[in-house]
Amino acid sequence: MTLHRASRNTLALVMLGLPAMAGAQAFGLNEIGSCAFARGFAVTGAPCADPSSIYWNPAAMPKARGLTTLVGAAIIKIDADFTRDSSFTRYEGDIPTAVVPHLFLNYRGAGKLAYGLGLYVPYGLTSQWKDDFPGRFSAKKASLQTIYVQPNLSYQITDNWSIGGGPVIGRSSVELIQALDLSSQSPQPGVTFGQLGFAKYTEFGRVTLTGSAMAYGFNVGLHGRFSKNWELGLRLLSQLSFNYDDADVVFTQTPTGITLAQQNPLRAPPGTQLDAVLAPQFSTVLVDQKVSTQIRHPAQVQLGFGYSGFDNVTLSADYAYVGWKSFNSLPVNFQGPAAGNSRVLQEDYNNTSSLRLGAERRFMSGSALRVGFSAAASAAPPETVTPLLPEMDRQLGMIGGFLPLTAKLGLDATYAHIFTPGARGRTDERAAVSTITQAIALNNGAYTLKANILSLSLKYAF
Amino acid sequence: MHRLNHFARVAALGAVVSLAACESKRDVLGPTTPPGGDIFKSYVALGNSITAGFQSNGINDSTQRQSYARLLAASMGTQYHYPSIAGRGCTPPIANTQTGALVGTGSTGQTCDLRAASSVTDILNNVAVPGARVLDPTSANTVASNALTTFILGGRTQVTKALEAQPTFASIWIGNNDVLVAGLSGIIVPQPALGQNGIISTLAQFQTSYEAMISQLTAGAPGLKGVLIGVAQVGNLPSLSFGGLIASSAAIQAGITAAAGKPVTVHPNCTGSTSLINVPSLVGAIRANSPVAPPIISCDKTSLTFPVGDLFVLDAQEQATLSATISAYNAYIKGKADAIGFAYYDPNVLFAAKRANGEIPPFPNLANATATFGNLISLDGVHPSAAAHIVIANELIAAINAKYGTTLKPVP
Repeated sequence: MTLHRASRNTLALVMLGLPAMAGAQAFGLNEIGSCAFARGFAVTGAPCADPSSIYWNPAAMPKARGLTTLVGAAIIKIDADFTRDSSFTRYEGDIPTAVVPHLFLNYRGAGKLAYGLGLYVPYGLTSQWKDDFPGRFSAKKASLQTIYVQPNLSYQITDNWSIGGGPVIGRSSVELIQALDLSSQSPQPGVTFGQLGFAKYTEFGRVTLTGSAMAYGFNVGLHGRFSKNWELGLRLLSQLSFNYDDADVVFTQTPTGITLAQQNPLRAPPGTQLDAVLAPQFSTVLVDQKVSTQIRHPAQVQLGFGYSGFDNVTLSADYAYVGWKSFNSLPVNFQGPAAGNSRVLQEDYNNTSSLRLGAERRFMSGSALRVGFSAAASAAPPETVTPLLPEMDRQLGMIGGFLPLTAKLGLDATYAHIFTPGARGRTDERAAVSTITQAIALNNGAYTLKANILSLSLKYAF
Repeated sequence: MHRLNHFARVAALGAVVSLAACESKRDVLGPTTPPGGDIFKSYVALGNSITAGFQSNGINDSTQRQSYARLLAASMGTQYHYPSIAGRGCTPPIANTQTGALVGTGSTGQTCDLRAASSVTDILNNVAVPGARVLDPTSANTVASNALTTFILGGRTQVTKALEAQPTFASIWIGNNDVLVAGLSGIIVPQPALGQNGIISTLAQFQTSYEAMISQLTAGAPGLKGVLIGVAQVGNLPSLSFGGLIASSAAIQAGITAAAGKPVTVHPNCTGSTSLINVPSLVGAIRANSPVAPPIISCDKTSLTFPVGDLFVLDAQEQATLSATISAYNAYIKGKADAIGFAYYDPNVLFAAKRANGEIPPFPNLANATATFGNLISLDGVHPSAAAHIVIANELIAAINAKYGTTLKPVP
């Protein structure tokens, strides 16, 4: 017996996961700097008094001259689950707690220039499900880790207006683990194991894809004060295209525990272990090979306003636009036995808009209290809510504060909760050629998602 | 300048209130409770050919859709996934009892059109396998396993597959195949020379297997509700006709001769005989010139040379033995149902009544190629027809409603 199409099918499964994983960044929190996070990300027009502005608005000049630093991390705990229509079974996610760092340095001397360096994570996510999750054939684990390094230069044009920007160097690594479904494999041309009775989601192997890539872009901004109490800011982070040209695919066999009965359609003697029948495939067809693809980290544009007409209070409102439509298609190029099956996968991601609101109340002690709110529409349309990322509309509520520890050292802390309404979604991949209606028809349950985030930053002024 | 004394508190509260409202939509996204009630959230049917939807010696999507299990699920308003057999079937059902033609173009006894690709799911609500005996629901490979075992279960057991559905309600109709062949062959004690195994399971063996099945099922699905169905009395099948009836009717004898394709003699010992003759099987063997089936019908096993008068003949004593065995099975099943809080349904009340009123005919109409065994029994003379499945489903619905106080509506 041979698995004539196993290679093609398996690799297709692997690559089907990638665009959605990139879509996982649609859940990108932008938890960059605790102050900005606490203020609902509404800091483009009214920047925080720390060097995280290198990301949020590269034009924002440091309020204090000299060297300032900000270092910290966000601790992110995401809870996701899926309730299946057919059995009412609830499958919980198995997502590890993530710690996402940020580091900024900025120096402004006596002149009109300020120099800075930022290290931050605008996109990234690990989604992971338990072994019984039916969507593990789409993604058992999907991990995308990206870090941007940005040298920055800002220039004060006038007393009220400044510009700034810098190149962005991105480094991204990806890991995807999928289970392999025997039912979709073919023991002979035109016949699948599923048609022989082997149930859907009969896991007989796993495939792990790992790869890394570099990409380059820029981040620029404009900041100004157009009245005594009003400020505005505008920033543009360019798209970065990561080309994973040398990703590795590794296959491992998973025991099915199936004993073949008499008169089985594989015509194996009764009592034969199915795993023994399948084992040769892992040394002939399902062998390690290379694959390349490209993931585009979308561009971001953010316009914001700040109002400081109340005593010791800053109010801010921003609008952000993220170009998720750059994931409308994805090229997949196999570099092994499946090279003939290279293809371009079509996705239906939408650009997203979000509203960001923030407020800060400062006290005589130097401490501050902040609240924020942000709402964003889902980047993934109803036909693309998948195990890689059960993407859905979301709102974030934040509360945080600043506590001066010494004359030069202070601590920012923020707690945020992500609220979602849940979303209908699917556990199966859509066919390569399928309509939106057909894809939506695959939705077989409801995803829920929520997250708690604690962000801490230490600010030090030399 | 203005002062906002409670700004932060108000803003935070407003945000939380508005966000909490967003979460209230979650309830409408997931699966909804079926109209029949919470206990029917996930229904599974275990069993054999009857439950699987096997009719007229074959099975395909059309017959599967007529199974009482599907009708029950429809009444419950719950999900129902079954292992649909594609095309003509596996094997295709009989279309004509006179010609032996099967459903579908080019069909033979070896035809198997595999599972429909669209039916390849992980969860099945109907896990019944034709040919399954009481031992089978907990075993992936037994002597009763056949091609359909893998086509339906894919190497798992019925109980394992059932538990994958996280069942809240189960129907179990198993045990018929432990006595069916004995009844139809007339050989209730093993006769290796004839390839007959007689009654498959002693009561003790039956109890052991049944208990294992129930234990595994209830352990895997705590709180499970359900209905246990008794084993059908083989003597009520229209395949079996009294020897006295055959002896008394020249028309019946003429029909037998016509069906056998050669003159068939009825031995005088059939006059007034209460022995049950499996006419379709005996006539088929005579027609095929089987060495063990000369063209004569004898109603006792001593008048002629063995196995004439024994094979395909159930004399009164054998009937009593078989009936007692089945009754003992059913007493155990009912006791088990009572013990675990399940409903119990005895199908023999229905079948006996239908046999008595002639809806299950006392003798097959061999001249009618498409309704040979009446309206309630399909063309193999054994398995319930679509009409019978409706009747069975409604009786089960009544039993379930009586046990659990539910209000499942009858199937139209």
